[in-house]
Amino acid sequence: MSNQLDILGQFSDALAAQAEAAKNAVVAIRLAHERHVTGMVWQSGIVVTSEQALPPRDDFELVAPGGAIVTAKIAGRDASTNIAILKPAEQIASPAIATGEARTGAVALAIGADGAGGVSARLGLVNLAGGEWHSSRGGLIDRRIVLDVRLARREEGGPVFDAAGARLGMSTFGPRGQVIVIPAATIERVVPQLAKDGRIARGWLGVALQAVAVPDALRESAEQSSGLMVMSVVENGPAAQAGILAGDIILSVDGTPAHRFRKIARHFGADSIGRKAELRLIRGGAVMTVQTTIAERHAA
Amino acid sequence: MSETASRLVPKQRLRVAVYAADASRRAALGSVVAEAGHVLVGTLDDADVIVADGDTPPGETRRVVTLGGADDDAQGVLPRDADAIQIDAAIRAVAAGLIVRRRGAREAGFGALRESDTHVLLTPRELEVLAALAEGKTNKAIARRLDISLHTVKFHVESLFRKLGARTRTEAVTKASERRRRETITL
Repeated sequence: MSNQLDILGQFSDALAAQAEAAKNAVVAIRLAHERHVTGMVWQSGIVVTSEQALPPRDDFELVAPGGAIVTAKIAGRDASTNIAILKPAEQIASPAIATGEARTGAVALAIGADGAGGVSARLGLVNLAGGEWHSSRGGLIDRRIVLDVRLARREEGGPVFDAAGARLGMSTFGPRGQVIVIPAATIERVVPQLAKDGRIARGWLGVALQAVAVPDALRESAEQSSGLMVMSVVENGPAAQAGILAGDIILSVDGTPAHRFRKIARHFGADSIGRKAELRLIRGGAVMTVQTTIAERHAA
Repeated sequence: MSETASRLVPKQRLRVAVYAADASRRAALGSVVAEAGHVLVGTLDDADVIVADGDTPPGETRRVVTLGGADDDAQGVLPRDADAIQIDAAIRAVAAGLIVRRRGAREAGFGALRESDTHVLLTPRELEVLAALAEGKTNKAIARRLDISLHTVKFHVESLFRKLGARTRTEAVTKASERRRRETITL
């Protein structure tokens, strides 16, 4: 019996020690009177947080570890991966933290800023650790990590640790209040680009698309059963200049079948800007090919 | 239960203050409050409920209904374009000590791209039929507009019901617009 109590005591002590150690890894980002969200001290000049949690403005006040108030400016935000970075006016020392890989069923500790220089803590399991996924905003997230913890709004954007104290990533809210983690690998990939350009460059055609079934009569000539129908075309955008019309059904992009957006998303990364793309499409019952030049997408 | 019922005041007049930086919004919200039968009072007066355009005013400790604010902690949270019925219902609910959220308010969040299975994707023709359904057109009118037989229209409508999991025309239109909102991609 005493042995079991020891184990529980050790478990509890270890969690408390981890929460204590995490103090130097988080800041509170003030939004309004007595309201804040959490940011992670990612490297000494950069605070990372949840893009969706920040109102559209450039200047914020941070409550640094220990309680000092530091002003900070937005240095970049990317809605597609839900990552925003801020540059504090004064350096906040960043603790050395190892990066961990999420495992389903493992213990996860989610840390938030308490708004006074300290932390709040949440314990749960990694409910699900899956493969890469695309966000509804078109960003690629390296892993699907869902936690079974409750999180307060003010804790969103904080770090999530595993039992060994390695950082799995940043907490954020998915649909219906689900708590998910933006993996450290995604943050590591996105932050340098955000710090350099203030945004993540993406290819752009200037169309809104919806997946549709190819009409039976056209399946043979189309050689596929679904495509992406052009619902609207942005005036003077690349698609409009190439003569693409609402109602066209895009079948493939540079030979990659456009059954689904997921399949062609990779053709519109940062390196696609300025490149020519060949679209195979159905218009007025016939299959045809149209050349377009991919432009750069500007912030939505 | 009988005690609860005996205390019910069907057309209760509440003291409501409107807080809005924009003068025209203040006037519009004020008239909604007055038309709903409440007493419009100043923000510094003794009020049962505060209606705030945007976030809760700093330091406000009374019961608040916010419209279009980012403030999740207010007792009442409505979208900016809430109608008079919703505003009145929220004022009464908040005054009664309840919290008010619009259905689906927590749907938002950083989510995955949702794409329907291939077998439930609509065809271009079905989308045309759907657009006509949304306008309230009858099968006959749809047949005339699309220059197809009544039989073919019925066939498309049935297929729409099946693919969208709808039992009525209204439900089909609602489900399709929900799907479109969720699954439309801008590229």
